[in-house]
Amino acid sequence: MSRPNKRLSAAPQELVDRSRPIHFEFEGRKIEAYEGDTVSSALSAAGVEIHSRSFKYHRPRGLLCVAGRCPNCLMTVDGTPNVRACTASVRDGMQVITQNAWPSTERDFVSVLDRLDRFLPVGFYYKALHKPKFLWELARPIVRRVAGLGSIDVDSDGGPTSNHTNRHTDVAVIGGGPAGMLAASAAADSGADVTLIDDQTLPGGHLLTDIREYFDVPDGLGLSTTTGHEIAAELRERVLGHQRISVLSSSSAFGMYQDNLLAIQTGRDSLNLRATHVVMATGAFEVPHQFHNNDLPGVMLASGALRLARLWGISPGKTAIVTTNDDSGYWAALNLSDAGIVVSAILDSRVVPDSDLLTLVRTAGIEVLAGQTINSAQGTKRVKSIATTSANGETRNIECDLICMSGAWQGASGLLLQSSSAGVDHDGIVRSGVPENVTIAGGVGGVHDLGALLSQAGLAGKRAAAKVGFGVPDDLPAIEAELSVFKSPTTSSAESSASPITQTKKTFVCFCEDVSTKDIAVAVEEGFGDVQTLKRYTTSTMGPCQGKMCHKAFVEVAALNLGLSVKDAGATTSRPPAQPVALGTLAGQNHMPRKRSPLHYVHEQLGAEIVELGPWLRPHNYGSPQDEVLAVRERVGIIDVSTLGKLDIRGPDAGKLLDRVYTHRFSNLREGHIRYGLLCSEAGSIMDDGTVTRMADDHYFVTTTTGNVDAIEDWFNWWMAGTGMDVYVTNVTAAWGAINVAGPRARETLAKLTDVDLSPKAFDYMRSATGEVAGVPSIFLRIGFVGETGWEVHFPAEYAEHLWNTVMEAGSEYGISPFGLEAQRILRLEKGHIIVNQDTDAVTDPLDAGMRWAVRFDKPDFIGRAGIAATRDRESKQSLVGFIADDGFVPEDGLSIVTNGQPVGRVTSSRFSPTRGVGFGLAWVPIEMAEDGTRIFIQSGRNEWPATVITEPIYDPEGSRLRA
Amino acid sequence: MAFLLNCPNCGARNVYDFRFGGEVLTRPAPDAGNEELTEYLYFKENMDGEQREWWNHSMGCRKWFIATRNTHSNEVLGTHWPDEPVTGTGQ
Repeated sequence: MSRPNKRLSAAPQELVDRSRPIHFEFEGRKIEAYEGDTVSSALSAAGVEIHSRSFKYHRPRGLLCVAGRCPNCLMTVDGTPNVRACTASVRDGMQVITQNAWPSTERDFVSVLDRLDRFLPVGFYYKALHKPKFLWELARPIVRRVAGLGSIDVDSDGGPTSNHTNRHTDVAVIGGGPAGMLAASAAADSGADVTLIDDQTLPGGHLLTDIREYFDVPDGLGLSTTTGHEIAAELRERVLGHQRISVLSSSSAFGMYQDNLLAIQTGRDSLNLRATHVVMATGAFEVPHQFHNNDLPGVMLASGALRLARLWGISPGKTAIVTTNDDSGYWAALNLSDAGIVVSAILDSRVVPDSDLLTLVRTAGIEVLAGQTINSAQGTKRVKSIATTSANGETRNIECDLICMSGAWQGASGLLLQSSSAGVDHDGIVRSGVPENVTIAGGVGGVHDLGALLSQAGLAGKRAAAKVGFGVPDDLPAIEAELSVFKSPTTSSAESSASPITQTKKTFVCFCEDVSTKDIAVAVEEGFGDVQTLKRYTTSTMGPCQGKMCHKAFVEVAALNLGLSVKDAGATTSRPPAQPVALGTLAGQNHMPRKRSPLHYVHEQLGAEIVELGPWLRPHNYGSPQDEVLAVRERVGIIDVSTLGKLDIRGPDAGKLLDRVYTHRFSNLREGHIRYGLLCSEAGSIMDDGTVTRMADDHYFVTTTTGNVDAIEDWFNWWMAGTGMDVYVTNVTAAWGAINVAGPRARETLAKLTDVDLSPKAFDYMRSATGEVAGVPSIFLRIGFVGETGWEVHFPAEYAEHLWNTVMEAGSEYGISPFGLEAQRILRLEKGHIIVNQDTDAVTDPLDAGMRWAVRFDKPDFIGRAGIAATRDRESKQSLVGFIADDGFVPEDGLSIVTNGQPVGRVTSSRFSPTRGVGFGLAWVPIEMAEDGTRIFIQSGRNEWPATVITEPIYDPEGSRLRA
Repeated sequence: MAFLLNCPNCGARNVYDFRFGGEVLTRPAPDAGNEELTEYLYFKENMDGEQREWWNHSMGCRKWFIATRNTHSNEVLGTHWPDEPVTGTGQ
């Protein structure tokens, strides 16, 4: 089978390497391509003209912009939907399929919708399928299947995760056209570090396809060539070879935020680039003209046709018509003609075109039809002819298979408008109000003439460098004075619409969403009187191109129908993303922090079941929590408590600080003594608890709950800030490891390893000491969270494994057992010790929690005093009490306490006690139920389980074991 | 929200490196009544305009400082240590 090959003869500026053929699959068909081809260029070479089917009517669509801006070439590439085929480089073996068509884009049966357009009015969803009500339920599955673009492979693992990086740059230049490249090199020459961001594979912008000779290029720029694409190559070498310029090709800046934070998509990855100064050189682009059937394949932007011909050597058509309203159309026609495409005529809406150019194109054999405009294009799957009207009303048909739309430039200012309120008209050209940390260069500021553009861009680069302190900052006023000469044209381009606007149902303003000029007219008739509401109602400018192809035409058509000038009609709002971004790129990697105790690998070796507790990984149990509880109660247990928050507080005002933040008093704590500490918020709610040990006159050692220490550190520092207190708070959580050795044989176990006298007389409960354990300098805290004789031993984290193993060995003769979180929870619950945030919530105050003993109202002030005092002065309504359930029932944490079926309280912690053989726990109950022996009822499912309130711990209420 | 904040210790950093501490308020006296306490705790000024506010450089030096920020334009007019006098606009 012979395949059409539309390749032109090789041109010097083309991007394909014809000596390196590669192959890929398109709809199961093998396509030949060359290295350097894009999917679209290769498909065009193979004769594929329909690249997609339109969103609503399933009309055939061909290449339009060929620059990654319009929606006409969205395809599914290797399973990724909505890839712009015109910027996707081909790879050997890649799989490409089309979207939004059944069975294929060539023959799409859904295109019947194109003939049913009267059933698909503007605002379809607001009007149709609502009455009768059941209709929507029936229609929904069908609408859902037909609507939308592309489909996601739900079985896919999403591919590799994208990376997020953060970078800084002195100057970011956005846009790799001549203005961007020159501005970048000028800024870098002045000494600034520059990042150049270009969304194309090769920097050069419109000059890449330009074969025109420029004789007016300013001398001072050091350019040795005069032909457009050669100038591009020269500038490109300059930026790529510059040691202070980092060039990001195929990267689009999709978001711009305060203080010049740029969100950039580069491949699958995203880069957050903070620029001290931004040069906006995003350029200006041709947009479609408004005539009937302006979306037929074969209707292209002139720049798109030139890109296809010049960059990939593909003939976009045989006989072309160029339609324009300015000189750029003439240059496009000459360029196409030079590439071997027959240009039969230029339709110039102006009556008197430039005379020099006229001679030039006529010499090339191109007819100029002055004062003529295009009304419609004819054809089914490809343009066959056009109908034109002259100034005096004569109509004419001209045969052609390619329409190149030129002129009608729209500035690419969407990105700038995200972060500033620059003065931009509907044509996107920036005319005023540019922020101080941004400089405009080139087409986006309305400067199109290459000589002027290069001069302006050079100055823009120097200004950017001077603004960040490079070059000669004193020159800034002079540079800015020179720059101010390059004023963008103030004439709004309404009068220069490339063709009068045709209002038909198939004159498309918005190619993304299939919104026609007629749709906008109907919406205005229906009462939408403003571009912002018209935008939302018609969804024009809201598709994948985000207004890049349509904003100008949309406002012009709206203004026409509203009877306003385009200036008064205004512009819609730009928001991120300026270019579509994959959600996976935004999501990036999962950066959930994980903290491991210095004993983590010991626990793994012991076969512990590890659970997540905040950022920490902790052993939940080592086999049987019940056995672990009994080991602690009957013999000796060891638990890793390295995750406890640890703060080292030093300085003459250390006691003063602690008195201020804690409810208790610590300035009078004696050296070597420990006191329980309760932290409250300013409202008087419990925030955290822990122990405070006085190590020396000006030195305290504080522990906090696991996971809370960073917040507590901030809290301490906050209440010190600006007070002039002479005290340092150091977070030593990671520096110190800790174990708790507890049980009747704990003393004997530890005594084997230390010289510190642990005898009851020498080492009382709530006392501390320092000394070595197994040769490791340690702090001993005799406290009893689990309710047995025991010591919390803190030591430098590096020695953790040694210490643990040595203690285990020493305790082996007494039957030592490691115990995990679950055993610790049971043990502390048997003692009625609370866990903050488990047994308390955001509004629990210490008095209701039965901890009046920890609150010193005799202190003149402490954080939370006023709040707690307010509770003291009113009746308590609820109380935290213990309970024992009947019949061995063990309620789940969080179950309700009910009276007559109504919830009156809740269980906060509940377990089975292996020591007592009962189900028990802690619960909040109304104050009148908070007495020993009160019967309460716990609701579980439909059942109510009786339980009895207890006000003392179920284990060792006198604390004799603890103090033994 | 992507602005830069000038930590008096470290210099200009991305706002994501900081923790916001709310408006700078005057704490009521310890024996303040319930009404005054409630006013202080729950009824913030939430002003539209220049506001003095607490910031903590949580991903940096972890120090608290005060910033004057225009809540309307989000412009940060200045930052300083809590015991320094307000220097007005500018750094």
